[in-house]
Amino acid sequence: MPDGIPSIGRLVADELASCGVKLVTSLPDNWLMDVIRTVDTDKRFIHVPVNREEAAIGLCSGAYFGAMGSAALMGASGFMTVVYAITKINYTYEVPVFMLLTLRGVVGDLQKHHVSNGLYLLPVINAINMPYQIVEKRSDLAMISHCYRHSRTFSRPTAVIFTKEVLVGRGA
Amino acid sequence: MKYVDAFRALSRHRTDQIVVTSAGHSCQAWWEATKDSTRTFYLGASMSLSTMFASGLAVAQPNLKIWAFMGDGAFCMNPGTLMVERQMNLPNLTHILVSNRTYGGTLNAELPNVDHNDYAAIAHAMGIDRVFTFSSLEQIEAEFPPIVRANVPAYTFIVLEVEPLTDELGSPAIDLEAVELKFRFGRHIEQLTGANIFGVRL
Repeated sequence: MPDGIPSIGRLVADELASCGVKLVTSLPDNWLMDVIRTVDTDKRFIHVPVNREEAAIGLCSGAYFGAMGSAALMGASGFMTVVYAITKINYTYEVPVFMLLTLRGVVGDLQKHHVSNGLYLLPVINAINMPYQIVEKRSDLAMISHCYRHSRTFSRPTAVIFTKEVLVGRGA
Repeated sequence: MKYVDAFRALSRHRTDQIVVTSAGHSCQAWWEATKDSTRTFYLGASMSLSTMFASGLAVAQPNLKIWAFMGDGAFCMNPGTLMVERQMNLPNLTHILVSNRTYGGTLNAELPNVDHNDYAAIAHAMGIDRVFTFSSLEQIEAEFPPIVRANVPAYTFIVLEVEPLTDELGSPAIDLEAVELKFRFGRHIEQLTGANIFGVRL
């Protein structure tokens, strides 16, 4: 990253901190690695790498009952594994949880193993009526705060979904 | 050791602990033993997330002491949860694994590899030092209180070896809506800690 231009990891971390997120749970996605590495070394956060995405949902849901702001970072594939957890915990008990996801399998993603995510990620999210915003430009990163606060108002899950361009491209 | 008797024994040694239960029989047995709906969160059918939920609360409120029940059916789905729990090493969290060797919530259906699963050994292999196994009421009475009272800066893992639950319950299952359970529990945490969980929205 050229001098003077903050990394995407720094920008996302600042946005998370600005809305009171303290606990960050994560499983890796290549596109998210700068964000994950940044929060891992940022003293404003407690970063917990987890064994599976559902664990991130469990941790963030419990942290809510301790009044600690939280966010779960995961890739599109990981999200596809947590539908039961969020419908069982977060919809049934009306517990907010905030997720940062990747928009995999769409135009520009050259990884063939993400074709299924391109086909089904958004339809699955829509099927469970989960509010989300797709962030395609760094200038739209304020959506992180907006969606986080919406999860608290809505008392259910919300997500920000990042494109490749914003996470690993120029995404100005 | 009878399932509900074990839970009654544990409840007699409870002081100020917050409790999170797992699906199925641990939920029913704890309700049978305590009738508690404020200091306990009954996390229904999460498929192995009770201790992660409890870990989130424990990290957010380090002055609370938390017991989290998990059936061995849930544990078989997600033994890797111990990796995260060991990594977090929260001294205010006790994971109580209820080993009845069945999927209790589904008519005691058989678990995989049931004759060979050694939960304490799995915990040790994950690097957990404070691992205790209880297989009788006498052992609980003698050895559980000092473990609860110990001021040790490390996470605790307990295996509770019980018989599958059959027809011991004397009262119906807890019959409160999930959202009511949320508010009862959350308001109690707010009162205990001064934390603002729900806020005021007009």
